[in-house]
Amino acid sequence: MTETATIAPVRKSLRVECSPERAFEVFTAQVATWWPTKTHSIHHEAVTDVILEPREGGELYELAEGGKREPWGRVTAWEPPNRLVLAWHVNPEGAGPTEIEVTFSPEDGATRVELEHRNWEQAGAGAAEMRDNYDSGWDLVLAPFVEKAR
Amino acid sequence: MAYVHPMDALGDPTRRAIFERLRSGPKPVVELARGLPVSRPAVSQHLRVLREAGLVRDHAVGTRRIYEVNPEGFGQVRTWFEDFWTDALDAFKRAAEGERSDR
Repeated sequence: MTETATIAPVRKSLRVECSPERAFEVFTAQVATWWPTKTHSIHHEAVTDVILEPREGGELYELAEGGKREPWGRVTAWEPPNRLVLAWHVNPEGAGPTEIEVTFSPEDGATRVELEHRNWEQAGAGAAEMRDNYDSGWDLVLAPFVEKAR
Repeated sequence: MAYVHPMDALGDPTRRAIFERLRSGPKPVVELARGLPVSRPAVSQHLRVLREAGLVRDHAVGTRRIYEVNPEGFGQVRTWFEDFWTDALDAFKRAAEGERSDR
Protein backbone atom coordinates (compact mmCIF):
# COMPACT_ATOMS: atom_id res chain seq x y z
CA MET A 1 0.00 0.00 0.00
CA THR A 2 1.62 3.21 -1.12
CA GLU A 3 -1.39 5.45 -0.76
CA THR A 4 -1.10 8.41 1.56
CA ALA A 5 -4.03 9.89 3.41
CA THR A 6 -5.51 12.96 1.78
CA ILE A 7 -6.60 15.78 4.00
CA ALA A 8 -9.35 18.23 3.11
CA PRO A 9 -8.41 21.92 2.94
CA VAL A 10 -9.31 24.20 5.82
CA ARG A 11 -11.89 26.69 4.49
CA LYS A 12 -13.12 29.85 6.18
CA SER A 13 -15.59 32.46 4.99
CA LEU A 14 -16.44 35.68 6.76
CA ARG A 15 -18.10 39.01 6.10
CA VAL A 16 -16.13 42.11 6.96
CA GLU A 17 -17.84 45.50 7.19
CA CYS A 18 -15.45 47.49 5.05
CA SER A 19 -14.38 47.74 1.43
CA PRO A 20 -12.31 45.01 -0.26
CA GLU A 21 -9.51 47.57 -0.57
CA ARG A 22 -9.44 48.15 3.17
CA ALA A 23 -9.76 44.42 3.96
CA PHE A 24 -6.90 43.59 1.62
CA GLU A 25 -4.82 46.39 3.11
CA VAL A 26 -5.30 45.22 6.70
CA PHE A 27 -4.71 41.59 5.78
CA THR A 28 -1.47 42.26 3.93
CA ALA A 29 0.05 45.53 5.17
CA GLN A 30 -0.98 45.37 8.82
CA VAL A 31 -0.49 41.70 9.64
CA ALA A 32 0.85 42.44 13.11
CA THR A 33 -2.38 44.23 14.09
CA TRP A 34 -4.38 41.03 13.95
CA TRP A 35 -2.09 37.98 13.76
CA PRO A 36 -1.81 36.45 17.26
CA THR A 37 1.99 36.69 17.38
CA LYS A 38 2.18 36.16 21.15
CA THR A 39 1.08 32.56 20.68
CA HIS A 40 1.55 31.88 16.95
CA SER A 41 5.04 32.90 15.95
CA ILE A 42 8.63 31.88 16.40
CA HIS A 43 9.62 34.53 18.93
CA HIS A 44 6.25 35.11 20.63
CA GLU A 45 6.41 38.16 22.94
CA ALA A 46 9.63 39.35 21.30
CA VAL A 47 8.00 39.79 17.87
CA THR A 48 8.13 43.44 16.85
CA ASP A 49 6.43 43.26 13.44
CA VAL A 50 5.22 40.97 10.66
CA ILE A 51 6.10 42.04 7.14
CA LEU A 52 4.45 40.92 3.91
CA GLU A 53 6.29 42.31 0.88
CA PRO A 54 3.52 43.53 -1.46
CA ARG A 55 4.42 41.79 -4.70
CA GLU A 56 4.52 38.37 -6.32
CA GLY A 57 7.63 36.64 -5.00
CA GLY A 58 7.60 38.89 -1.94
CA GLU A 59 8.49 37.38 1.40
CA LEU A 60 6.41 37.04 4.53
CA TYR A 61 8.44 37.15 7.72
CA GLU A 62 8.44 38.11 11.35
CA LEU A 63 10.83 40.59 12.92
CA ALA A 64 11.89 40.17 16.53
CA GLU A 65 13.87 42.08 19.11
CA GLY A 66 17.55 42.26 18.26
CA GLY A 67 16.76 42.49 14.54
CA LYS A 68 16.09 38.77 14.07
CA ARG A 69 14.18 37.95 10.91
CA GLU A 70 12.33 34.64 10.53
CA PRO A 71 10.71 33.61 7.23
CA TRP A 72 7.12 32.35 7.25
CA GLY A 73 6.46 32.09 3.54
CA ARG A 74 6.29 33.71 0.14
CA VAL A 75 3.70 35.50 -1.99
CA THR A 76 2.87 33.38 -5.05
CA ALA A 77 -0.09 35.48 -6.31
CA TRP A 78 -0.56 39.20 -5.66
CA GLU A 79 -3.80 40.62 -7.06
CA PRO A 80 -4.93 43.55 -4.89
CA PRO A 81 -7.60 44.02 -3.72
CA ASN A 82 -9.12 40.66 -4.69
CA ARG A 83 -6.75 37.75 -4.24
CA LEU A 84 -3.62 36.66 -2.44
CA VAL A 85 -1.85 33.29 -2.42
CA LEU A 86 0.91 32.42 0.02
CA ALA A 87 3.31 29.49 0.10
CA TRP A 88 3.47 28.80 3.83
CA HIS A 89 6.97 27.61 4.48
CA VAL A 90 8.60 28.37 7.75
CA ASN A 91 11.96 26.84 6.80
CA PRO A 92 12.91 27.03 3.11
CA GLU A 93 15.29 24.08 3.46
CA GLY A 94 12.49 21.72 4.41
CA ALA A 95 9.76 19.79 2.66
CA GLY A 96 7.17 21.36 0.40
CA PRO A 97 5.00 24.23 1.57
CA THR A 98 1.31 24.27 2.35
CA GLU A 99 -0.69 26.91 0.51
CA ILE A 100 -3.01 29.65 1.72
CA GLU A 101 -5.35 31.41 -0.73
CA VAL A 102 -7.38 34.42 0.37
CA THR A 103 -10.00 36.17 -1.77
CA PHE A 104 -11.79 39.47 -1.10
CA SER A 105 -15.09 40.07 -2.95
CA PRO A 106 -17.61 42.93 -2.72
CA GLU A 107 -20.83 41.93 -0.92
CA ASP A 108 -23.63 44.47 -0.37
CA GLY A 109 -21.33 47.32 0.53
CA ALA A 110 -19.10 45.04 2.60
CA THR A 111 -16.54 42.35 1.77
CA ARG A 112 -16.70 38.56 1.69
CA VAL A 113 -13.33 37.14 2.73
CA GLU A 114 -12.69 33.49 1.89
CA LEU A 115 -9.60 31.65 3.04
CA GLU A 116 -8.39 28.21 2.04
CA HIS A 117 -5.39 26.53 3.66
CA ARG A 118 -4.52 23.44 1.60
CA ASN A 119 -1.88 21.01 0.34
CA TRP A 120 -1.47 19.36 3.71
CA GLU A 121 -0.10 16.29 1.95
CA GLN A 122 2.94 18.29 0.91
CA ALA A 123 3.99 18.75 4.48
CA GLY A 124 4.26 15.06 5.28
CA ALA A 125 4.44 13.11 2.03
CA GLY A 126 7.01 15.46 0.54
CA ALA A 127 9.13 14.88 3.56
CA ALA A 128 8.74 11.11 3.34
CA GLU A 129 10.18 11.14 -0.14
CA MET A 130 13.14 13.21 0.85
CA ARG A 131 16.35 11.52 1.90
CA ASP A 132 16.59 10.65 5.59
CA ASN A 133 16.20 14.08 7.00
CA TYR A 134 15.10 14.09 10.59
CA ASP A 135 14.49 17.76 10.70
CA SER A 136 12.04 18.42 7.91
CA GLY A 137 8.37 18.63 7.25
CA TRP A 138 6.17 18.98 10.22
CA ASP A 139 8.33 21.15 12.40
CA LEU A 140 8.70 23.60 9.57
CA VAL A 141 5.02 23.85 9.03
CA LEU A 142 4.00 23.53 12.63
CA ALA A 143 6.87 25.08 14.54
CA PRO A 144 5.15 28.38 15.24
CA PHE A 145 2.06 26.59 16.43
CA VAL A 146 3.26 23.79 18.62
CA GLU A 147 3.53 26.04 21.67
CA LYS A 148 -0.14 26.87 21.46
CA ALA A 149 -1.14 23.24 21.91
CA ARG A 150 0.45 22.98 25.35
CA MET B 1 -4.52 5.46 28.65
CA ALA B 2 -3.07 8.92 28.92
CA TYR B 3 -4.30 11.32 26.28
CA VAL B 4 -1.50 12.85 24.24
CA HIS B 5 -2.25 15.86 22.05
CA PRO B 6 -1.16 15.21 18.43
CA MET B 7 0.65 18.53 18.30
CA ASP B 8 2.65 17.62 21.38
CA ALA B 9 3.42 14.19 19.98
CA LEU B 10 4.82 15.80 16.83
CA GLY B 11 6.82 18.26 18.90
CA ASP B 12 9.68 15.76 19.17
CA PRO B 13 12.03 15.54 16.15
CA THR B 14 12.52 11.77 16.34
CA ARG B 15 8.78 11.20 16.51
CA ARG B 16 8.28 13.48 13.53
CA ALA B 17 10.89 11.48 11.63
CA ILE B 18 9.10 8.23 12.47
CA PHE B 19 5.74 9.69 11.53
CA GLU B 20 7.06 10.96 8.22
CA ARG B 21 8.37 7.50 7.36
CA LEU B 22 4.90 6.11 7.90
CA ARG B 23 3.42 8.58 5.47
CA SER B 24 4.70 6.49 2.56
CA GLY B 25 2.99 3.34 3.83
CA PRO B 26 2.70 0.87 6.75
CA LYS B 27 5.94 -0.43 8.20
CA PRO B 28 7.21 -2.74 10.96
CA VAL B 29 9.25 -1.34 13.83
CA VAL B 30 12.49 -2.80 12.54
CA GLU B 31 12.15 -0.91 9.29
CA LEU B 32 11.16 2.32 11.02
CA ALA B 33 14.21 2.09 13.25
CA ARG B 34 16.64 1.61 10.37
CA GLY B 35 18.89 4.63 9.98
CA LEU B 36 17.51 6.43 13.00
CA PRO B 37 20.01 7.39 15.70
CA VAL B 38 17.95 5.69 18.42
CA SER B 39 17.50 2.11 19.61
CA ARG B 40 14.57 -0.08 18.61
CA PRO B 41 13.05 0.01 22.10
CA ALA B 42 13.21 3.80 21.89
CA VAL B 43 11.42 3.70 18.54
CA SER B 44 8.76 1.46 20.10
CA GLN B 45 8.36 3.98 22.90
CA HIS B 46 7.92 6.82 20.38
CA LEU B 47 5.38 4.74 18.48
CA ARG B 48 3.45 4.26 21.71
CA VAL B 49 3.24 8.02 22.14
CA LEU B 50 2.13 8.48 18.53
CA ARG B 51 -0.50 5.80 19.04
CA GLU B 52 -1.81 7.40 22.21
CA ALA B 53 -2.04 10.67 20.29
CA GLY B 54 -4.15 8.87 17.69
CA LEU B 55 -1.67 9.59 14.91
CA VAL B 56 -0.75 5.97 14.18
CA ARG B 57 -2.39 2.58 14.66
CA ASP B 58 -0.94 -0.91 14.63
CA HIS B 59 -1.89 -4.51 14.02
CA ALA B 60 -0.09 -7.81 14.39
CA VAL B 61 1.20 -9.81 11.44
CA GLY B 62 2.61 -13.04 12.83
CA THR B 63 4.98 -11.98 15.57
CA ARG B 64 5.53 -8.49 14.18
CA ARG B 65 3.56 -5.33 14.71
CA ILE B 66 2.88 -3.22 11.63
CA TYR B 67 2.31 0.50 12.13
CA GLU B 68 0.45 2.90 9.85
CA VAL B 69 -0.85 6.45 9.84
CA ASN B 70 -4.27 6.85 11.43
CA PRO B 71 -6.10 9.33 9.17
CA GLU B 72 -8.51 10.31 11.94
CA GLY B 73 -5.75 11.36 14.26
CA PHE B 74 -4.03 13.17 11.47
CA GLY B 75 -7.27 15.06 10.92
CA GLN B 76 -6.92 16.46 14.42
CA VAL B 77 -3.87 18.40 13.34
CA ARG B 78 -5.94 19.91 10.57
CA THR B 79 -8.71 20.66 13.06
CA TRP B 80 -6.18 22.50 15.15
CA PHE B 81 -5.40 24.79 12.20
CA GLU B 82 -9.10 25.18 11.57
CA ASP B 83 -9.48 26.60 15.08
CA PHE B 84 -6.41 28.74 14.63
CA TRP B 85 -7.88 30.42 11.54
CA THR B 86 -11.18 31.01 13.30
CA ASP B 87 -9.39 32.97 16.01
CA ALA B 88 -7.01 34.78 13.69
CA LEU B 89 -9.77 35.83 11.28
CA ASP B 90 -11.93 37.09 14.14
CA ALA B 91 -9.06 39.36 15.09
CA PHE B 92 -8.60 40.33 11.45
CA LYS B 93 -12.29 41.27 11.18
CA ARG B 94 -12.02 43.49 14.25
CA ALA B 95 -8.90 45.16 12.87
CA ALA B 96 -10.42 45.74 9.42
CA GLU B 97 -13.71 47.09 10.77
CA GLY B 98 -12.17 49.18 13.53
CA GLU B 99 -10.42 52.48 13.48
CA ARG B 100 -6.92 52.56 12.13
CA SER B 101 -5.25 50.45 14.75
CA ASP B 102 -3.02 52.14 17.29
CA ARG B 103 -0.22 49.71 17.84
